[in-house]
Amino acid sequence: MSRPKGFVVLGRAVAVPVSRVSVVAGLVLTVLLLAACVATLSLGRLGIPLTDLLGALTGGARGKAAFVLERLRGPRLVVGLGTGAALGLSGALFQTVTRNPLGSPDVIGLASGAGAGAAAVALLLPGVVPVPIGALAGAVLAVVVVYVSTGTGFRNPGRLIVAGIGVSAISVAFIQYVVYAVERDKATVLTAYVNGSLSARSWEHAVTIGIVLLVVAPLAAAISGRLALSEMGDETAGMLGAEPGGTRTAAVALSVVLSAGAVAVAGPITFISLTAPQIARRLTGGTGPHLMLSSLTGALLLVLADLAAQQLPLPGGVPVGVYTLALGGLYLGYLLIREWKKGTL
Amino acid sequence: MTATVVRTAPGGSGAPRARASRLVWFLIAGLAVLALAMLASIAFGSLPTSIGDAVDVLRGTADANTTAVVESRYPRTALGLLAGLALAVAGTLMQGVTRNPLADPGLLGITAGASAGVVSATAFLGVSGQWGTVWWALPGALLAGVLVHVIGSAGSGAGLVRLVLAGAVVTAVLSAYVQAVTLGMPKVFDSYRYWVVGALGGRDFEVLLSVLPTAGLGLLLALLLAPALNTLALGDESASALGARPGVTRALGLLAATLLSAAATAAVGPIAFVGLAVPHIVKAVTGADFRAQIVFSAVLGPALLLLADVAGRMLLRPQELMVGIVTAFLGAPALLVAVRRMKGGS
Repeated sequence: MSRPKGFVVLGRAVAVPVSRVSVVAGLVLTVLLLAACVATLSLGRLGIPLTDLLGALTGGARGKAAFVLERLRGPRLVVGLGTGAALGLSGALFQTVTRNPLGSPDVIGLASGAGAGAAAVALLLPGVVPVPIGALAGAVLAVVVVYVSTGTGFRNPGRLIVAGIGVSAISVAFIQYVVYAVERDKATVLTAYVNGSLSARSWEHAVTIGIVLLVVAPLAAAISGRLALSEMGDETAGMLGAEPGGTRTAAVALSVVLSAGAVAVAGPITFISLTAPQIARRLTGGTGPHLMLSSLTGALLLVLADLAAQQLPLPGGVPVGVYTLALGGLYLGYLLIREWKKGTL
Repeated sequence: MTATVVRTAPGGSGAPRARASRLVWFLIAGLAVLALAMLASIAFGSLPTSIGDAVDVLRGTADANTTAVVESRYPRTALGLLAGLALAVAGTLMQGVTRNPLADPGLLGITAGASAGVVSATAFLGVSGQWGTVWWALPGALLAGVLVHVIGSAGSGAGLVRLVLAGAVVTAVLSAYVQAVTLGMPKVFDSYRYWVVGALGGRDFEVLLSVLPTAGLGLLLALLLAPALNTLALGDESASALGARPGVTRALGLLAATLLSAAATAAVGPIAFVGLAVPHIVKAVTGADFRAQIVFSAVLGPALLLLADVAGRMLLRPQELMVGIVTAFLGAPALLVAVRRMKGGS
């Protein structure tokens, strides 16, 4: 069996797509991402000036720069990068399985389920169960409920989305119940668990999302080749030896873990996992899951949205999740109209 | 009125007379449930009083303290009555007009539009007090409703799921806007944070009076439209052949639904799923006749909302859980059940 053209084969299972367009797109995304990171660290009243930034990063920082880098913006930036990458990758995996841009973890209620799980263990049983475990349990439960209530598994995007709206509504109601039952400072806590926020993140959060990415990303790379084949339809993929059923289950499992990890550190930030894979796909014009590019795009989107959340002169500290909700909602509308004009949904 | 409604109800397979008397009994049962819900709503709360106390107060034989406590619950009971009626009738209308079993003012963006209207008026136009805000809920609700229908009918053919998706999009963008504004102006919006979840408590009769004309107009329109909706259910071609004008009926039906849900939202904040769940329960009892459906929705909607509100008061006693949260718990599973009945899904 010959590999599809433009794939670099590493070992027996791993085939990384490296067409020239993807490499260029990847480089451009990386440059933009670096620029966004520098802007995050240096803009604003507390920012580290560009001239001092390199020295602060390499030689160790002192005083105000150290505080900004090590406590204030450094962890927040790293958590943003990791969460964005996890969401982008999670979306790419799930959308490939459902073969529809709308079958994305945030649209089908997986993220809000994870948020409800995180809220339950963080607020109802503080210190008993680690937050990521709660998020994972919530995400798994949400996926199972959606899968069961559609009656047709993940095949029918319309049913998937409506079931997702229902699961989201229950999850948000549950989060509201927990927050009102436990917390006093309701508005900020509520919005952190319902919309997601990157404010006041610590290195602990960065380590959590880092571990999730380190474990899941290689596994995702390992199934990417077979996942690309499964897009050709079950029969073709089966004949090419891709075991479409097993590959899909594995992809969903990895996607759930990534989403749960992202929610555990940043709350259910919406629409990154919907938009990132779609942008990655447009950039290269090709088919296939584009896992690497989706992760880069996800990281870029989230860092940019958080930059806006930090620097825009809106009063009251609107969290990053509200920005992604607004932008992603507009994008979802565009996507729906486009799909309908084509008649694919 | 009820008698004429049930007597002219188109019979299914069985004898029309037996069916009519069955409906009368169901309606009596529904009214009894509603009466119990209202009694529970004035009897239970953060301060311990019982059904017996409430009955004593109604008779005028209770002591001053108990009377004061129970009477303080009259406005929220009245509001629950109005909001439940408005939302349930709006849901029935929307499901009939769009022939979409998933239609609900909350799912189709109308509630979010009303919220955005109220929040904008308070934040940027300096409007305050209930008399002012209700007028801003209406244009918001209308705009969002029109927008959802424009997005939902883009491209060829109008699918059943499309409107729900368009509603989800409009709701997402509008709720981001509402959150950004409310988080940004904490002082102005301390009361609105509460309102944004959907709650019956903490309001007075003035609120009720301010939305009463809008809701009354919507309900009147709904009752007048019911026969036309029955004709519409035969399909556009047959309806036109019978002299009906499907386009006009649809437009007026959606207008009535918008008026009703805007009034409910302006009064108590966004409450989802009452408009989705109640019509499904009602349809199981009444069958296809819209005249009966509207009457039963007007009885069972308030009963469900008031019971949800009482549950919210009991769950976290002495604190309360907003009724919007309780209805989401109760109503969202109804959506999950309805998903399986969706044809094709696209």
